[in-house]
Amino acid sequence: MTEKDVVERLEEIVGKKNVQADKIGLTSYGYDATLLSGVGMATVFPLSTEHVVKLVKLANEAGFTLIPRGAGTNLSGGTIPDGRCVTVNFSRMKKILDIDTENFVAVVEPGLVNFDLQAELEKKGFYYPPDPASYKATTLGGNLAECSGGPRCFKYGVTRDYILGLEVVLPDGKVIQTGGRNFNSEPGYDLTRILVGSEGTLALLTKIFLRILPLPAAKKTMLAIYNQVEDASQTVSDIVAAGIVPTTLEMMDNLLINTAEDATGAGLPRDAGALLIIEIDGHPEDMDEQVETIAGICKKARVREFKMARTAAEVDQLWLARRVVIGSVARRRPSYSLQDITVPRSMFPNMVSGILQIAKERNLEVGILAHAGDGNMHPLVLFDQRIEEEVERVHLAEKDICALALELGGTLSGEHGIGLLKKKYLTLEFSPVAMACFAKIKNSFDPRHLLNPGKIMNL
Amino acid sequence: MSNETVNRIKGLVGEGNVVDSPSAMARYLKGQGRPLAVAMPGNTAEVAEIVKLANEEGLKIAVGGRVVESRGLDGGLALVMSRMNQVLEIDHANLTATVQPGLAHTEFSRILAEQNLVFPPEPNVPKTGSVGGCFALGEADSQAFQYMPVRTYLLGYEMVLPNGDILEVGNKCIKNVSGYDLIHFAVGSRGTLGIFTRLLVKLLPPPAVKMALVADFASLPKACQAMATLIRRRIFPTRLNLLNPALAAGIDPGSKGNLVMVDLTGFKNSTELLAEEIAGIFHLAGSSEVQAVKEAEGYAKLWQGWLDLRGELNTTWAERVIDFNVGPMKLAAALQALTEITGDLGAYPGLVAEGLLGRVRLLLPAAGEREEMAVKVNALAMSFGGNVSGNFGSKLVCRAYNDAEMWEGIESLLGQIRRQFDPKGILAPGVSL
Repeated sequence: MTEKDVVERLEEIVGKKNVQADKIGLTSYGYDATLLSGVGMATVFPLSTEHVVKLVKLANEAGFTLIPRGAGTNLSGGTIPDGRCVTVNFSRMKKILDIDTENFVAVVEPGLVNFDLQAELEKKGFYYPPDPASYKATTLGGNLAECSGGPRCFKYGVTRDYILGLEVVLPDGKVIQTGGRNFNSEPGYDLTRILVGSEGTLALLTKIFLRILPLPAAKKTMLAIYNQVEDASQTVSDIVAAGIVPTTLEMMDNLLINTAEDATGAGLPRDAGALLIIEIDGHPEDMDEQVETIAGICKKARVREFKMARTAAEVDQLWLARRVVIGSVARRRPSYSLQDITVPRSMFPNMVSGILQIAKERNLEVGILAHAGDGNMHPLVLFDQRIEEEVERVHLAEKDICALALELGGTLSGEHGIGLLKKKYLTLEFSPVAMACFAKIKNSFDPRHLLNPGKIMNL
Repeated sequence: MSNETVNRIKGLVGEGNVVDSPSAMARYLKGQGRPLAVAMPGNTAEVAEIVKLANEEGLKIAVGGRVVESRGLDGGLALVMSRMNQVLEIDHANLTATVQPGLAHTEFSRILAEQNLVFPPEPNVPKTGSVGGCFALGEADSQAFQYMPVRTYLLGYEMVLPNGDILEVGNKCIKNVSGYDLIHFAVGSRGTLGIFTRLLVKLLPPPAVKMALVADFASLPKACQAMATLIRRRIFPTRLNLLNPALAAGIDPGSKGNLVMVDLTGFKNSTELLAEEIAGIFHLAGSSEVQAVKEAEGYAKLWQGWLDLRGELNTTWAERVIDFNVGPMKLAAALQALTEITGDLGAYPGLVAEGLLGRVRLLLPAAGEREEMAVKVNALAMSFGGNVSGNFGSKLVCRAYNDAEMWEGIESLLGQIRRQFDPKGILAPGVSL
């Protein structure tokens, strides 16, 4: 079938206005939040499960591959098209099908934006815990495909912990439901779990059953500033050991404190080694006791400034530096590469000093942003995309950072996924036996490699 | 031939670690299957060697912590993991433990308690359950609303695959999305994908206080209403379990009616306030007696009673149990509707409801009518947005929707995965997915 014929058939399935095959359309959906891009044959916007089934059948018949896509905010190259493929853009399947607060379930279509669900839930006093930084733009289908995290994960867990069930279209066009509205609804194997984080390589999502929770009755936000990263890190360990599970333990290092200060002029001390934002939630009557314990722990760890927000405005003030930090690095250098390694909590100080060492060796500026409670770190490697030689050094530094994380007993990806970007490092983390198991999973679902080929691993 | 096989197995794990006389094997087996031998491997290499031998000889293998399901195991080999029962590491800084799969679940909890740590999942069977078995079955227990399902406590493992290869995945990071999620996918796979030989699990620090409330309700609907009131007021205890009179008597011999058991764990201030509030709600809802259990011994005894009951439902009574889910706030209506099938639930052999999960376990008068009852119960559960648990439930749902295609899709996918991992069909012959 020629490309022109394929486009015509796509238009028959979803209607002309839901297909884009011109140059602008192809370019617009050919890139994501990485520096990668590619071009396929067309982008198609299904509106229903039935559309998706027909697309899959056509792909089988006409011999092209399918690249599922939400908002394209992923940091792994997971939605980059390549060759004879069609991008399936789910952004028009964005209905909320049900919100059942009494039974803690929401049922949504995969193209729904995380923020739009949160806004609806908030009206009812509920929320959906996973909150990736891009939540204002990202789709829930995309969150599921990457198993996104976010700052609240330390207490509440990641996307996989909030998916109760799915309706998916398999690569042979069959529709199945996995899980349901409750725990304990899986048939045989926990198919839902293998689909979460599968980066669009196993099946196409058409419906998601999410677990939702009531908004916590009380919340306290604290800011602690330290001379050294080690002190912040000690604070984190001691808080956990004291039996307190904060929702958030966000850390920024000296470089990022400075770029944030450049951007906001909020009065952060420029010589500070690290800043920690600590947030707890729960029953109102438990807050004071926990704040007191945390303040004591910070003091013991030689904190130089400790603040607790007393009003909503003060909460915003404490979060300000963290909110602007990624954008603020643009004042230093025009580009950044955001890494996503995770190490065991006890290895946190070693990882921080290791990253600074790598930065020095590769002659690069690196700022460190971390979800410190769970050891998930986002080193921001700063560079200028136009300087080829520097880009080379950035790639070398990325590899060094991945290798160090693995050496310290960590992982290549805490919440962004593998996609195209980290595929080349996967064998550093996994043995040939594990890689063979990945292939078994892929081949069980998608023996013809129709879905998102070349992502996660080559087969 | 079979003697020769047994001798080879003895050569692999040592003569003293293989049992092959039917009378000696009996204590390691349940069910009617007649395996060739029971072997107790001592380490991963031995397990891998045994699996390779099984591949050569087409021998079926089933695995258990202390007791092995023998269904489908005629002429095969039962592996008892009780010698691989060590705690290899407890990491306080990262709140993890590395253990061997044959470690008894209750023994693990005891060791952790000494170190001021907790492994929250409830044992499936307190007397015989192992940590490996806990993840092989991997369900959501009655604390799952607060502590999440069992799978969330598995961070990594070492596993001998059906071809004898050794798979290692996972690390001490709670955030880990590298590659496909083999870690959580293995949970609940009931020994069909491989044999766990080492487990890396997540631990928690203990809650500051623990206490329980036990309320007696003459009326089942009123007990359900009381539980619904808690949820409506956004009171979410650690456990909120309901037992009908037949089962309540086993936990609290003095009880007269239905028992609602509330577990509260958390910080001191809120826990004490909540206990008072809940007691008040239960009195208003018609409970004849609400007891607070605050001292450690009484608390431990109460919940041990619950765990023992759960163990009975999972073993002795397993063939008589139907397990279904509806939403937590649909429990009252679902149980009301259920009486049309069962008659008065107060007089029924057994009923357990896990209030925060909306899960019901029904103990039937006899095993014979299970399938027929499950079809009726599933239809009822479906009208409340749920279904009978597990694969059988999914099948019934597909049948009810007349969706043969979906069932075919699920069944062929499950079969495909199992064949990809175990092409010769060696492991867990008694488990049909």
